[in-house]
Amino acid sequence: MEKVFDLSVKASLENLQVIRQYIDRVGARLGVNEKALGDLRLVVDEAVTNVILYGYGDLDGTVELHAEGDGDSVIIRIRDQAKTFDSSHVSEPQLDTALKDRPFGGMGIFLIKKMTDEAEFLPLPGGGNEIRLVKRGAILPNDQA
Amino acid sequence: MATLNIMVGEAQGNVPVTILRLEGDIDAATQKILQDKATEVVGGGATHILLDMSGVNYMGSAGFRAIHALTNMLSSEESSTLSKSPHLKLLNPADSVARVIKTLGFDVYLDIYQDRDEAVNSF
Repeated sequence: MEKVFDLSVKASLENLQVIRQYIDRVGARLGVNEKALGDLRLVVDEAVTNVILYGYGDLDGTVELHAEGDGDSVIIRIRDQAKTFDSSHVSEPQLDTALKDRPFGGMGIFLIKKMTDEAEFLPLPGGGNEIRLVKRGAILPNDQA
Repeated sequence: MATLNIMVGEAQGNVPVTILRLEGDIDAATQKILQDKATEVVGGGATHILLDMSGVNYMGSAGFRAIHALTNMLSSEESSTLSKSPHLKLLNPADSVARVIKTLGFDVYLDIYQDRDEAVNSF
């Protein structure tokens, strides 16, 4: 493992920008390419938004983020103490349906799965959840960073 | 917290076009600003809207939910096909936003322009 970064914030939509800025700092320190950084910013924002809106709901809580570089990959873990989340119950957006007939939900989870190489949603033994996201080919070799 | 500013303008194409120039981030914290402004201009009689995305630094699925709702507000009852909206078009999204538009399949429903005059005259 190369470099490790942590952030812990109150689970509030107002902190989404703080979290995106954290991903930007991680990206700059690890030498993440621009396309991968855009994808990571998006998938982390989507994951944390789900934790806040559907995990904690009206309850107070915290979101802990842990990011590290491993070779050319970025691995991000997002932990919460919210109710257990089962991503298999979320239906994917119907991309071949007229927009007016298309349900509103499911886009966040769809984007997370589409824009990462690995996305795992794991219940933690003591309660809460961990979302583990892996983006490969994200870190530029040293001579190109 | 992220900020989203929306400036409302008008332009005359083949029909009057309302231009919403968006500046800032569209996430779950700010999407309501877009939704409220969209509801306001449609309530005020706007029927053809160009969303100028050139000032949008970030847009997640919350922004797409707002655009989805706006498209539905503007669409007539009979238009339940996969065709592009004649009422809502997008101008100049950043590459990162354009990639998400494509991933979510919104490019099937919405025309995207790089040139403002071309966009206005396309309505």
